[in-house]
Amino acid sequence: MNVFITGAAGGLGRALAGECASRGYNVFLTDINEEGLNRLKRGLERQFGAAVAAKYCDLTDPRSFDALLAHIDAHGLLFDMVLNVAGCDFEGAFTEREREKLVQIVLLNNAAALRVTHALLRRRRPGRRFAIVFVSSLASMFPMPLKATYAASKRFLLDLAMALRQELKAEGVSVLAVCPAGLATTDETLSSIRAQGFMGDVTTASLEDVARRTIDLALAGKNLYIPGLAGRLLSLLGKIAPRSLAAAVVYRRWRRAHLIRAEKIRS
Amino acid sequence: MKAVAITGATSGIGLETARLLAREGFCVLLAGRCAERLSRAKARILSESPSARVACFQADLMQQREVLRAAAEMNAYLDAHCGGRLHALINNAGCVRSWYMTTEEGYEQQFALNHLSGFLLTHKLLPALLKSNGRVIMTGSASHKGIKIRWDDVMLRRRYNPLTAYKQSKLCNILFARGLNDRFAPGLRAYVVDPGLVKTDIGNKETGALVHFIWSLRKRGGVPPEIPAETFAYLCLKEPPPDGLYYYRCREKKYSKEVTRENADRLFALSERLCGLDGGFAAQDERAGAV
Ligand SMILES: NC(=O)c1ccc[n+]([C@@H]2O[C@H](COP(=O)([O-])OP(=O)(O)OC[C@H]3O[C@@H](n4cnc5c(N)ncnc54)[C@H](OP(=O)(O)O)[C@@H]3O)[C@@H](O)[C@H]2O)c1
Repeated sequence: MNVFITGAAGGLGRALAGECASRGYNVFLTDINEEGLNRLKRGLERQFGAAVAAKYCDLTDPRSFDALLAHIDAHGLLFDMVLNVAGCDFEGAFTEREREKLVQIVLLNNAAALRVTHALLRRRRPGRRFAIVFVSSLASMFPMPLKATYAASKRFLLDLAMALRQELKAEGVSVLAVCPAGLATTDETLSSIRAQGFMGDVTTASLEDVARRTIDLALAGKNLYIPGLAGRLLSLLGKIAPRSLAAAVVYRRWRRAHLIRAEKIRS
Repeated sequence: MKAVAITGATSGIGLETARLLAREGFCVLLAGRCAERLSRAKARILSESPSARVACFQADLMQQREVLRAAAEMNAYLDAHCGGRLHALINNAGCVRSWYMTTEEGYEQQFALNHLSGFLLTHKLLPALLKSNGRVIMTGSASHKGIKIRWDDVMLRRRYNPLTAYKQSKLCNILFARGLNDRFAPGLRAYVVDPGLVKTDIGNKETGALVHFIWSLRKRGGVPPEIPAETFAYLCLKEPPPDGLYYYRCREKKYSKEVTRENADRLFALSERLCGLDGGFAAQDERAGAV
């Protein structure tokens, strides 16, 4: 089993890499954080005796990606699974964000995921099933004021996954969208979970569970995974509430938090 | 002046121990993750023991590369000021987590900080410790009792329970001490201190609301960190070095039956592998643990 993982040096990517390595899969890791990547490679080798390849790539740069592909092809590597984990998340009012920072969200979360998926589909192991995983977000279920671009980029992945699934079914390719809410991975996500008090405990899914279930469900050919009861309830709400109402509710809930944060930054 | 190195010296038990040892006339090497808290600790120690020698080493000890950097800086300091000798190393830095979180290497954080960081740091400081017939002291906990090491899944990734991960890391502390004694005593002595329940903020840092809440209630019944500090001072000062392994309030205490030579050897082998010490714990290979 050969698995290609983007965003591997970060929280969920790292957990997925560990999950795959613990199952004895061969993993190919890529990330923009080259040092982190190499440390993870060493850690996985030491922990699981796994076969790990790791290579830096800026997935938003076509030339960097071409270099990565050239490296893969020079070694004749073919894959059984691709995990699109790399993504970025800036929040804040649309007009207050730097223009290129906003565009960056789409370049990484969407354009890069297309680039990777398209390239990896041409590097499947012949005659075997292939699984594609997109890490979307619970944010894909709602239009999200103050996080508008991010939520829309995650919606893009959700719809892309649903559509590709139909297109590729006959070829033995399955497509899974994963929509987690809170995961305690970085200092920022941890502090936002902590800021929510007990609600944070309830909505936080456990990283190692999400990693394990993601791989299980991808292997089983499933198409959607929303971790946690709270996540499933929220996604249900997102389905039944009119989208304009959902946007209004999200806006009211987040505006206060946003104002408080803006105030803090100013002072 | 004899030197003692203390990790996690910026708050709680580590800070009180550093203050006490400085008053007792030791040169203290403080390791902590936050430069500002380190200089506050240093200032506080100097304000009450003006003639003390205090050096600070900033490092996020959860990450192996940071342990290696701190160890190199400590060794340089010891060479320059203490004749390359270290009288005692106190592996005290520790953390509590609510969720499965990993280090850069993909290691579970409580295991990585509470056990592995001390293992790797001790390895790097071993020559300085042996030179001085030194002592290695871990801050353990009575919670190490009643559990076993999950050898097949030591990071508990398959069934993560944060409390079990904490307890297991504290069992590792004693196994590590036992293994050190098996290998190096009497050239070096290793101990574990059970501090008892201590009023510190350990359960309030980086934890979720539930753990935060429970710890806030629980710590009210704890003793001030000055109390366990006395046991560390006892183990640093007592001559000849005491023979026991596990101490509570300056007295030997019973520990888990899991603490066997076999388990200690197994933990050594595992930890050597996870730290990349291919030549074994005692070999000071320049490239060992390279990250
Ligand atoms: N409190 C108790 O009842 C109790 C009982 C049994 C055992 N223990 C053990 O006692 C030891 C000390 O804990 P404590 O109660 O004194 O809590 P504490 O005040 O939180 O002390 C922990 C120390 O470790 C430091 N630290 C945390 N993460 C670190 C990292 N990544 N790198 C370097 N340093 C780091 C902390 O730094 P900051 O100051 O920056 O946070 C602090 O100095 C721990 O090993 C704990 O397991 C405590």
